[in-house]
Amino acid sequence: MELLREYLPILIFLGIAVGLAVVIVVASLVVARQNPDSEKLSAYECGFEPFQDARKKFDVRFYLVAILFIIFDLEVAFLFPWAVSLGRLGLLGFWSMIVFLGVLTVGFIYEWRKGALEWE
Amino acid sequence: MLAIIAVFLPLAAAILAGLFGRQIGDRGAQLVTCGALCASAVLSVFVFYDVAVLGHGRIIDLFTWIDTGELQVRWALRLDTLSAVMLLVVTLVSAMVHIYSVGYMAHDSSIPRFMAYLSFFTFFMLMLVTSDNFVQLFFGWEGVGLCSYLLVGFWYDRPTANAAAIKAFVVNRVGDFGFSLGIFAVFLIFGTLQFDPVFAGAADMAGNTINFLGWQVDALTVTCILLFIGAMGKSAQLGLHTWLPDAMEGPTPVSALIHAATMVTAGVFMVARLSPLFEYAPTALAVVVVIGGTTAMFAATIGMAQNDIKRVIAYSTCSQLGYMFFAAGVSAYSAAIFHLMTHAFFKALLFLGAGSVIHAMSGEQDMRKMGGIWRRVPCTYAVMWIGSLALAGIPYFSGYFSKDTIIEAAWAAGTGVGTYAYWLGVFAAFITAFYSWRLLIMTFHGSPRADHEVMHHVHESPGVMLIPLFVLAAGAVFAGAIGYEAFVGEGRAAFWRDSILVLADHDSLGRAHEGVPEIVSLLPLIAAVAGIATAYVFYMLRPALPDLVTQRIHALYLLVLNKYYFDELYDRLLVRPAMALGFGLWKQGDGATIDGLGPDGLSAVTRDLSVRASRLQTGYLYHYAFAILIGVVILVSWYLVRVVG
Amino acid sequence: MPVVSVPTILPALPEILTVCSAMALLMLGVFRGEGSTRLVSWLAVLALVLVLAVALARGGDRQIGLNGMFITDGFALFMKVLVLIGSAVSIVMAMAYNERERIARFEFPVLVLLATTGMLMMISANDLISLYIGLELQSLALYVVAAFKRDSAQSTEAGLKYFVLGALSSGMLLYGCSLVYGFAGTTNFAGLAAMFAEGNASIGLIIGIVFVSVGLAFKVSAVPFHMWTPDVYEGAPTPVTAFFSVAPKIAAMALFIRFLVEPFGALTAEWRQIIWFISVASMLLGAFAAINQRNIKRLMAYSSIGHVGYALIGLAAGTETGIQGVLIYMAIYLFMNLGTFTVILCMRRDGRMVEAIDDLSGLAKTQPALALALGIFMFSMAGIPPLAGFFSKVWVFLAAIHAGLYVLAVIGVVTSVVGAFYYIRIVKLMYFDEAKGVFDRPIGAEMQAILVVSSVVIMLFFVIPGPLLTSAELAAAALFPG
Repeated sequence: MELLREYLPILIFLGIAVGLAVVIVVASLVVARQNPDSEKLSAYECGFEPFQDARKKFDVRFYLVAILFIIFDLEVAFLFPWAVSLGRLGLLGFWSMIVFLGVLTVGFIYEWRKGALEWE
Repeated sequence: MLAIIAVFLPLAAAILAGLFGRQIGDRGAQLVTCGALCASAVLSVFVFYDVAVLGHGRIIDLFTWIDTGELQVRWALRLDTLSAVMLLVVTLVSAMVHIYSVGYMAHDSSIPRFMAYLSFFTFFMLMLVTSDNFVQLFFGWEGVGLCSYLLVGFWYDRPTANAAAIKAFVVNRVGDFGFSLGIFAVFLIFGTLQFDPVFAGAADMAGNTINFLGWQVDALTVTCILLFIGAMGKSAQLGLHTWLPDAMEGPTPVSALIHAATMVTAGVFMVARLSPLFEYAPTALAVVVVIGGTTAMFAATIGMAQNDIKRVIAYSTCSQLGYMFFAAGVSAYSAAIFHLMTHAFFKALLFLGAGSVIHAMSGEQDMRKMGGIWRRVPCTYAVMWIGSLALAGIPYFSGYFSKDTIIEAAWAAGTGVGTYAYWLGVFAAFITAFYSWRLLIMTFHGSPRADHEVMHHVHESPGVMLIPLFVLAAGAVFAGAIGYEAFVGEGRAAFWRDSILVLADHDSLGRAHEGVPEIVSLLPLIAAVAGIATAYVFYMLRPALPDLVTQRIHALYLLVLNKYYFDELYDRLLVRPAMALGFGLWKQGDGATIDGLGPDGLSAVTRDLSVRASRLQTGYLYHYAFAILIGVVILVSWYLVRVVG
Repeated sequence: MPVVSVPTILPALPEILTVCSAMALLMLGVFRGEGSTRLVSWLAVLALVLVLAVALARGGDRQIGLNGMFITDGFALFMKVLVLIGSAVSIVMAMAYNERERIARFEFPVLVLLATTGMLMMISANDLISLYIGLELQSLALYVVAAFKRDSAQSTEAGLKYFVLGALSSGMLLYGCSLVYGFAGTTNFAGLAAMFAEGNASIGLIIGIVFVSVGLAFKVSAVPFHMWTPDVYEGAPTPVTAFFSVAPKIAAMALFIRFLVEPFGALTAEWRQIIWFISVASMLLGAFAAINQRNIKRLMAYSSIGHVGYALIGLAAGTETGIQGVLIYMAIYLFMNLGTFTVILCMRRDGRMVEAIDDLSGLAKTQPALALALGIFMFSMAGIPPLAGFFSKVWVFLAAIHAGLYVLAVIGVVTSVVGAFYYIRIVKLMYFDEAKGVFDRPIGAEMQAILVVSSVVIMLFFVIPGPLLTSAELAAAALFPG
């Protein structure tokens, strides 16, 4: 019993997660107005149909764009804390980020030159 | 120096003819080997004169052979009267056989090989007789055995020749096993293998015992019996004799040289050489007498019924070797060597004569298909008569002197076994004469029984074959008379000097000279004449009689005809079980067990494991991931169990 | 602005040089286009040679850099030299092949350079964090080169399998790192070593070591974490396979050794059992599974699994001589493998690669020089004296005997007998079987050079063993201070 008690927080987390998911789904069914039109039912820009099997194939180009996006998304995620604490990091911190950005830029130039950013 | 050349010339000739036979050709090989042997024979005469007559016995040290801790063995030539006699006999007979072979083997396809083997054999025989220690003796002993094997199986495309060669070799191994044990025993007792120290220490060792197979036995007796077993194998004595008749598959000159004159007498020589040992082992001597006497009689009876001309002579050889052994057994070593010498002449003569007959009869060996050819081959006929007269012991032929001396010595020994040997010897003399004349009459007289084709070709042999016959015939006639005085007569002590040791109370020869009853010395002669007469009656005057007699005593006849069923007995008792055992060990032991569990089994298991191991590689990603997880679980649980549990 | 002291970056000079040249070449390639592949390749080789020179010039003194994250010493130098040779030769081997197979892209040498950077970092890692960074940098580049022949299903399958299983193993490794950190409170190797010198090894910590070891065992492809090896070796383009079989393996082995010996040297008795187990399993599987193979690249995969098993014997011994044995083993293994793969790259008939072992039949009659070279490599791998492969095995076996690991040594000898079967079967095929046809000629000057150098090294090692033995001894001594 002693052992199980240590896992009580996890059980609570599980309960919250399940509850939240149920609440969200039920709320969207009950509260929101269900009024589909052709615009609402048309494909998203990423190419997915709004209502469809999740395991469907889709154009690899979406995947490519998403991956390339994530890199720079993460770059920003690093930049925020860096920017906030730049005052304390000093020159070393500054140049470290510059090098990091430089490396990313090399990658960016490469993908640009390779044409990875062209849709066609 | 002369002796060294005499011993090593045959080796040089053998190497030359054997390895370079292709270059020097048939004629070259014949010239080289015959020349070497003749030179060797001439040198031997000088050596004999120097050593035996002038008394310059000596030991020529050549070089060290083995030198390890306790054991020192040197190559050396021991020259005394005994080895000088043997040297002379061996080189002389060998030279004659070499020359004879030039004619006899003229049509063979591998003459250099044959001549090389003959010379090689002679070298080993000379090593044997001149050895100064047991190891060199054994070296020569095995060497002649090897050459005998090679020569018996000379016509290797004949299955029977191969079988005979193997048989000769294997039976000899049985004897050699005893011989080696004997040598080990000598080393155990004396701590050395050199003759001189062993002989010097023999008197002190008499009566000592050693542990043999768990029994305390008299040291010298067991040693001598073991050594004698070796001699029995080599000299085809009762029990180990079966290889000798089969060895007649070899070319006839081989039979004359190896299986009549020299190699088979090595056993007799060995006993004489080791007389200082045997003299102190009276029990062993008694064994020698019994075996020798029994063989003399036993082989002679078989000889009566054989139809193959060479086999008759082969059994005769066996029988005569028996004489020599019982002579040695009653301490008449000099008589044994004397008979060895005369026998070498007349038996080689008989074999070569038989070869001449076979040559004339286009290869026929069965006496039942011969007859009526004596006018066509007068020389052969004459020498066969001489050989037979000598063999039968008719006065003034060589056999008379040596054989009668032996028989008298056996009587004079005055022991139970001596008397036993005497009576068997006399009876064997009768049979010897009988089968000799049976051979003569069946071969040369009567109406021709061969077909017309063969009879048409009957011809006298060429000169190159006849000359050796005449030389040997001269030996067969005169050797006895010339050698009697020196070998076994009053001059024997001065002649043999210290090469043969006879204890005073064993001196049967001396007692024989002092006088035996008249009838005792006459009896062998009477038996011989009676034998000749019987043969005439049976095969000349009343040709129907032999059949009548054989029908009357059919069982006995069959027994003798089939050589007392020794071959069959050995086949059942030894050969087949050994073959079965060997086959079983091969198939079950080696094939199934050792191969099956060893190399084959392991490789099969390996292959199986390999297939299983590669089957693990399914190609599915989740299997691979699963394997990784299994590995992690195994390692983690191993530590959990070890540390926590 | 507060002053934050600048960490020493000088010890990492070779790595910095490598990664900079990788980026520079990437830019060069992307601006010059596909036609620049050969140029980029040769420049990459040049860069590696340069890095090698810099590393050698800096010497093998023990230096800590980057706030204790990074270390260079004799051991690191020895392993870096091997890795740099392996990478450079792989690029050379790949050039002609890639052009023939129409996959000559300038990214290949750049990726190899990036992977090499990762390997160099692994070798010099002195902290769990830098360990992981180096490992991932290497792995990510390797996943890509495994699938480099994009149009081939086999190649992409190889890359995907490698990626998925590699991710799994990285997960294990990270989990192990977190356990170690959790129980020890530090990620620095020196800190860990100081802790365990006092002898407090909790079970959680040992489980942590197990998980990290699993991750590393995956990288060196030790059984039972080897499953990816045959498929990836077979599927990947042949020069990539050659590269895989040497450089990453040597780097991972270096990391494995440093990780177990430096921070956990006090726990040798504990981790020895893991190494013992995977060493035995690798030797057995390497020997037995290889017999049934028909594809030469697959055979080489099992062969490399077996060789890793032998090398791990030295690690299991855990002694200075044991580590020296591993170093000698990896050095000789590098030459044997590069030579063998050069021959495999020459197995071309009518412009197409053939990979069946049977295709080598009668090679001695058609291309005697090639057959002779492969014969030397095979005999060496089988451990036939006086070739180098014999001595490498002797060294690890000796170390095992000295450490009292008799069973391990005996299993090693027995499996090398089994292994000899499939190596020598290739020799038999080449020399005693009927020829199946001629391989394309010429094989190229650079291939000839690799063949000559590697076979001379293998053959004449026993004449001049001094340099290798001495440097391996020095390198091993660096891990056992005092």
